[in-house]
Amino acid sequence: MAERRPQHASDKLAFLLALVPFLMDRGRVSVSEVAAHFSVEEKTVREAVNLIAVSGIPGATGTYQHNDLFDVAWDDFLDHDQIVLTNLVAIDDAPRFSGREAAALIAGLQYLSALPENADRTAIATLMAKLSRGASTAPTPVAVEDSETNSTLAIIRESVATGVQVDFDYLNSRGERERRKVDPLRIESLDADWYLRGWCHLREAVRTFRLDRISDPQRSDQPITYRADDVTLPDKLFEGSPDDIEVTIELPSAALPLLADYIGDRDVSEIPSGNVRTTIRVSHLHGLKRLIASMPGVVTVVSPREARESVAEWATAGAAQYQ
Amino acid sequence: MTRPAAPRIPVEERLFSLVLALLATESGLTKGEILSTVQGYRQRYDPNGSNANLDRQFERDKDDIRELGVPLETIEDPAEAGNNQNLRYRIPRGAYELPDDISFSAEETTLLNLAAVVWREGSLSEESRRAILKLRSLGLPADEPVLSVAAHTRVRDAAFEPLKAALDKNAVVSFPYLKPGETAARIRTVEPLALIQHQGRWHLYAHQNGEPKTFLLRRISGDVKQTGKTFPAPEGDQAAIALAELEEVWNSNRAVVQVAPGSDAAIRLLKRRGTEVEEEGSVLSLRYADRNILADELTGFGPEVLVISPPDLRDAVRERLEVTARLHASPEGESPANASPASDGSSHG
Repeated sequence: MAERRPQHASDKLAFLLALVPFLMDRGRVSVSEVAAHFSVEEKTVREAVNLIAVSGIPGATGTYQHNDLFDVAWDDFLDHDQIVLTNLVAIDDAPRFSGREAAALIAGLQYLSALPENADRTAIATLMAKLSRGASTAPTPVAVEDSETNSTLAIIRESVATGVQVDFDYLNSRGERERRKVDPLRIESLDADWYLRGWCHLREAVRTFRLDRISDPQRSDQPITYRADDVTLPDKLFEGSPDDIEVTIELPSAALPLLADYIGDRDVSEIPSGNVRTTIRVSHLHGLKRLIASMPGVVTVVSPREARESVAEWATAGAAQYQ
Repeated sequence: MTRPAAPRIPVEERLFSLVLALLATESGLTKGEILSTVQGYRQRYDPNGSNANLDRQFERDKDDIRELGVPLETIEDPAEAGNNQNLRYRIPRGAYELPDDISFSAEETTLLNLAAVVWREGSLSEESRRAILKLRSLGLPADEPVLSVAAHTRVRDAAFEPLKAALDKNAVVSFPYLKPGETAARIRTVEPLALIQHQGRWHLYAHQNGEPKTFLLRRISGDVKQTGKTFPAPEGDQAAIALAELEEVWNSNRAVVQVAPGSDAAIRLLKRRGTEVEEEGSVLSLRYADRNILADELTGFGPEVLVISPPDLRDAVRERLEVTARLHASPEGESPANASPASDGSSHG
């Protein structure tokens, strides 16, 4: 979690309050080590140390006497980029979490309950209880449903740990089923859906697989060719390609966030009915018809004609079963 | 006489100095003492003036500090109740510091680091970042996770942030809510108790006229407003209560569907939580909490799914397929306005 944006005053305060106990604990530490530990720039660390060194409490006289201020070993700091606090004031320990901070981590842990790392439920419960107890107020009541540990993820994790390929049956959204052999690189999730990104030996390229389309996963005996560090994964889970189909859709503006990942920063124009029109990019119509049908009556395809027909056929075939 | 221009003290220096001063005092400091002696205030303090600006500054600073989870306390002298000038302020050490017996193992630190990057934007992301900063204050090393995990979760519902803010304050809120089967949204006024995510969707658990209700955030069709009233926080873990209630509904609802063997529906619905196989590869029994949500999900599978029971779900899916077919029937686009399936099957609101 790199923190590269300019800090607000309360961010800076939070950093100061976290930094002091860390420095106390380390005794002597280099600026670069602190920067790496907190994922901040070295400049930020030096600024913070300069501020700490002149800060303190008003004291008995209300005039900030020397003994009421923090102090650093200036020679070490200025000449060697080393930090040693030589006088300490007011702060003894790391601060508690706020109720909202504890709640955010707890909800994150719950969200990750499908991970094999999370399989020990007692350990997770203990960890959540620690977060609650370590908060200055009761955590905000925000919670995520517990999911079962995902067995596919467990097999993928074992494959990574032992450096072998994982192989599985994969049904793509075109309906084609193939046995894939993959070097797992990263697990990603997008809201409720989980994906494996890996080097596919069948396609000889990086591919993204939906976990719920994987059947019969096995740890193979073939060593992997690529490790996560060897491959630069594109930022986006779904890369656009020149072959993508542009589809114009119409929907109520309130429904736009539901399609945020498809729309990107495209133009949205309002039409007289009060709805909006925009364009989405899809790799093929097989995916499109499923997407549109899962938002029935909300999103309508306007053009191109083949896209409308594909959705119409899909829904008509579905409805025909009930005749 | 004009006062000399005060040297500019950075905001973070003033806030830091205030925290230090209030941590160092046992009995608390009065506002007068703070404004006249604490770094960042004292430079602007006028012993003969009203210090109204400085006073307002102090009020804002207190809020900012409390936002970070710092327990800034106000102590009232019982002998002088109601006298604002004699209120004393302090930060009790025990409530400020992380208790000594709380530490995190390398595995726990790894998990917390993973948990902190789950939320991609919004206040949950911001608060996770702060929490990790405090965790790093402890100087704990983390294990390198075996498998690198990147979770990217966005809370897409516009109502989430205002509801979360209201939860923190126990503030009564009102919002327009469109219940399936109703043509216009109605304003609901509720006491928010918890926000919970179930089956990938955010729900609000709240009291409406004293009755517990669950609302789907996606159906909140307009602004969430605080009414200005607050309510006493109820006892117990409301999020756990709310999840347990939804889980009970989830467990009591069963849908039987026929799936085309080997199809996307057959594979993905089999992986859905709670699915039981009735007939190998072709008939599945699914659990659900909300008929309309499941109907939308099943409609996406088109001809790969045929709902056998219950009849209301069967009708809901059929109707949705027909609406979708009708809206896409003509070669050119037709407005989907007023075409939403009109059936009531909500366990919500």
